[in-house]
Amino acid sequence: MGPIELGPWQIGAAAALVLVNGALSVWLKLGLERKLAVASVRSVVQLALLGFVLEPVFAAGNVWLVLGICAVMVVLAARAAVSRVSRGYAGMTLASLVALLVGAGATAVIGTGGIVGVEPWWEPRYLIPMLGMILGNGLTGISLGLETCLKQLDEERARIDAVLAFGATAWEAARPVAAESLRTGLIPILNSMTVVGLVTIPGMMTGQILGGTPPLQAAAYQMLILFLIAAATALGTLVSVLAAVRAVFDAEGRLRPERIRQT
Amino acid sequence: MVLVASGLERRVGDRTLFSALSLEVGAGEHVVIHGASGSGKTLLLRMLAQLDPHDADVRLDGASMAGLGPTAWRRRVRYVAQDAPIHPGTPRDWWERLASLKALDGDLGDPYGTSARWGLEARAWDRPWSQLSGGERQRIALACAVASNPDVLLLDEPTSALDPDAVAAVEADLAGRTALIVTHDRAQAERLGARVLEIG
Repeated sequence: MGPIELGPWQIGAAAALVLVNGALSVWLKLGLERKLAVASVRSVVQLALLGFVLEPVFAAGNVWLVLGICAVMVVLAARAAVSRVSRGYAGMTLASLVALLVGAGATAVIGTGGIVGVEPWWEPRYLIPMLGMILGNGLTGISLGLETCLKQLDEERARIDAVLAFGATAWEAARPVAAESLRTGLIPILNSMTVVGLVTIPGMMTGQILGGTPPLQAAAYQMLILFLIAAATALGTLVSVLAAVRAVFDAEGRLRPERIRQT
Repeated sequence: MVLVASGLERRVGDRTLFSALSLEVGAGEHVVIHGASGSGKTLLLRMLAQLDPHDADVRLDGASMAGLGPTAWRRRVRYVAQDAPIHPGTPRDWWERLASLKALDGDLGDPYGTSARWGLEARAWDRPWSQLSGGERQRIALACAVASNPDVLLLDEPTSALDPDAVAAVEADLAGRTALIVTHDRAQAERLGARVLEIG
C-alpha cells in the first residue's frame, strides 16, 4: 500500500496553516511575518526542485551523476555550517568541507554499501537521502563545535596562555577547548537519541511508515540512520575543531587570536 | 649571562613602543623594568616568553629560541601575567593539570608550601578559582611558577595585589632566582637589589 498522493491543493491547505503564524506575528508585533513568508516560499521551491532533480537521477542510474549531486550537497552543507558561526578563520569553509567529506561522506557510503548492503553502493534511492540526513545533522554539530571552539580561543587567551607559559604544547593547552567544543557539537544528536520513539517519531521513520514499510522495519532503518548520524557528527565536529585549533595556533605553538575574525 | 636579547622591537599600529632594545640577565640576578603604562612592558615579557611573535635574537644560556624549540623554551622561561585568570575548577586541579604536562615531567617543587609562606591559607587551593580574591590568585599563580623550577622568571607586577607582609615574603623567596620583573613600585627594585631597565 503506497501513500495517498498529494496534489497542489493539499499543499496549499497546509500552507494556509502558516497564515495563522503570520497573523499571530502581526498581532503580537513579532516582526516575523516576512521571514515566515520567505522561509515558506524557500521550502516549497527547494523541495519541489529536489523532487524534480531526484526523479531523473533515480531513473538514469549513472554513478557520476549521483556523486555529482552528493558533491553539491556536501559543498552546500559546508557553506551552511560555516555561515552560522559568528567567528571565522581563513580556510574555515574548506576545512568544514573536508570535515563533512570525512564524517558524513564516509559514513553514508559505509551505511549504504557496507551495512545495508545496497548494490551498487551508490544506488541513489539509498545514498542521497541517507547522505542528506547525515549532512543536515552533521553541519549542526560542526557549527556548534566551531562556535564554541573559536569563542573560547578568542575570549580565553589568558587562560590558554597561562598553560602555554609552563611549556604546554598547543594541543595540551587547547585540549579542554577541543573537548568542550566536541561535547557541544554532540548535544543535539544525543538529545535526539534520548527522546527518539518516546517524544518524537523522526522524519525518516514517519516517511517510511507513510510509504507502507512495516513499523518494525522503519524503526530498524531509523536506528541505523541515528547511529550513522552520531558517528558522522562526532567525526565531522572533531575534524573541524582540530582544524580550527591548528589554524589559530602558529608553528611555535603560540595562540594567535588575531587570526580569528568576527563574521 | 642566562638570558640575552638584542634587537627587540615592538610596534602597535604606527607607534613604536620600543626598538633596538637589548637586555641581559645574569644567573640569580634581578632586573626590574620600569616604564609608563602602555610602554610595552607586558609585551616585552610576553615576547621573551615566546608567547608573542618577534624577530629578535633571544638566547637562553647561549641557545636560541629556534634552537631550543618553543615548548622547551617556555618550560625554562616562565611568564606570569599580572592578573591570574580564573581557570575552571580549583587551583589544585590546575596545578595537577600543569604537573601532567609532558614538558614539566618530574621536576617540580611544592607550590602549597611556597604559598603558605606567603600567607595563603591552605584551603584556598580547594576553592573554585572564581571564589578567590585577586591576591589569592596572584600568589597561587606565582607559587606554581616558582614550583615549576624555571631557569628564568618573567614576572608582570607579581605583588600588585598583595599586602606588605606577603610582598616581603615573596621578595625573600625570589632571592637567588633569575628574574626579570615589571613593577611600578620604585622601592621594590631597591629592596630586591635589582638592576633597573627603563623602557619607552
